[in-house]
Amino acid sequence: MSGQGAHLDNSVWMRAVVMGGIILTIGIVLFGALAIGVAGQKQIAWDDAETAYHEAEHDYEVAYENYTIALAEFETGNTTLTQADLDELHDEYEDMHHAEEEAHHDEIKAHLSYLSYRVSGITVLLMSISYASFIGVGGFLNASKPNADHGDGHDDHDEHHGSSTPIVFAFGIMLFLIGFPDFVIACKALLSSEVTADVSMMALSMVGLATIVVAIANWWFEDLPFTGSGEQIATSYPFEGEHIRKVGLWVFIMSEIMVFATFFSSYLRMRTEWCTDWAIRDGVEACADVPEGTVVTASDLLRYDVATLMPGAINTFALIISSYTIVLALKTAKDTNWKPSTGFMGKLMPTRKAAVRNYLIATLALGSLFIVLKLVEWSHLVAEGFDIGTVQGSIFYIATGAHGLHVFIGLLVMLYLVFKSDTVGFDENNAQGIEYFGLYWHFVDLAWVVIFPAFYLY
Amino acid sequence: MGEHIEFMGKDIYFWNFIVLMFFTLFEVGAVFFETIPFTEIEITKLAVWGILIVVGIIKGYGIAAFFMHLRDDPRIYTRTALFPVLFVLLMLWGIGLSNPAGVTDLPSWCTPNWDYATTR
Repeated sequence: MSGQGAHLDNSVWMRAVVMGGIILTIGIVLFGALAIGVAGQKQIAWDDAETAYHEAEHDYEVAYENYTIALAEFETGNTTLTQADLDELHDEYEDMHHAEEEAHHDEIKAHLSYLSYRVSGITVLLMSISYASFIGVGGFLNASKPNADHGDGHDDHDEHHGSSTPIVFAFGIMLFLIGFPDFVIACKALLSSEVTADVSMMALSMVGLATIVVAIANWWFEDLPFTGSGEQIATSYPFEGEHIRKVGLWVFIMSEIMVFATFFSSYLRMRTEWCTDWAIRDGVEACADVPEGTVVTASDLLRYDVATLMPGAINTFALIISSYTIVLALKTAKDTNWKPSTGFMGKLMPTRKAAVRNYLIATLALGSLFIVLKLVEWSHLVAEGFDIGTVQGSIFYIATGAHGLHVFIGLLVMLYLVFKSDTVGFDENNAQGIEYFGLYWHFVDLAWVVIFPAFYLY
Repeated sequence: MGEHIEFMGKDIYFWNFIVLMFFTLFEVGAVFFETIPFTEIEITKLAVWGILIVVGIIKGYGIAAFFMHLRDDPRIYTRTALFPVLFVLLMLWGIGLSNPAGVTDLPSWCTPNWDYATTR
């Protein structure tokens, strides 16, 4: 791919910086509304529920103590209490027990409700900071380059220009990963004085991150003026005549299938051996002597209640809808006979360029919703004691986390596509960017088609 | 591409999207309900497994064939996508054999005269 095609002024790149500012503003507003506004109210409700629970717990303990003392006295005959009095005390402590259970249930519900808003607000803020810094820094780096460096339309359209960007990008990832273990320890050191970090390795990781950002910015710099001419074609068997980038993407997806297959197979291997409640109730012979609740999986905590299953279910629908919106973006970009709809959709998408951009924004929003709900769901599971410390927790968080990371990386790429659709625009000639990214996005959806039933429903 | 095939005025992508949404709702319902709604017929564990696997295959086909265009693209892309399936099958075989019940409880056609299969 090359930088041939339309002339681009530096001011175009400054729009990426503006876009970053808009995203950050939206993130801060949503953080204020969700994590401070609503979560503040929810915290008050949670505090009240907690107080009510402790009071109910105390009342129950007192009632139970009264009953046991009365029962002991009644059995030794050292009391004036009758059987009816004793029954009354029994009923009273039973009522207190029910009230305590109810108060405990309300307290958990209030806690999870508070967590939902708090975590979603913080996630939105962190995501908006990531988005803003990613698109903003990339745009600023390219805007800082001299105008003469940009594609000016005088290149030979049939000539292929090699790009060093993927190699620089891979080198950045290598540096980042070399220092990554210490990077994690350094993050812990920021939170605890008992942990000391190797600063030199952390610095290496930071250099890696900076290299990645520079490489990505340069990648955009080369791709933005791309008009579709000069797409490299494979010349040898078995991909003869096919676009090399598309082939590369499919080979990449092939390797990704293997990555997710390892998660899935290790889960399946362990799962077939676990005596889950489901296996016990189903009469699996090997689990005959195992009491229920010995092995708790994420699906045990999620699938039986609408409220707990809802984030995962909404995420499934969000990914499917986002797969459809990106297909619509590609279809619209390629449609030379595109005409605006009438009514509300016509106002929302008055031109082909606006329609492509808005479909991509919708995909971005749905993908972001996926990440927010994923972290809300994780916070609920951790609050219920299902953390990464168990084998079940480990495989669940690693597999769903790896998938979430793929979604997040896809969203970063999508930011650039939104930027390109808003500036240069996509049409029937240069829509490959959407098509090839779409393949990745559909794969992420496909992986979820396997992960959701295996980890949430089974 | 698929947008040229139309049914009731809508292209294949739209109908694929509807099918995917419907089957997602179906699989969530299959797990959530213990009996078939409005009946007393129990949804067994085996039935849930069957539903999850069949729905997964249908949804996977819908995404790969239509959204990823494998149905219209040259066959080499399908073969590329299916290549890792060989390794996935090997992994599943490994899961079966390394499972505690994987050797002794497998049907005879799966354990071709392995002595330890019966003596272990």
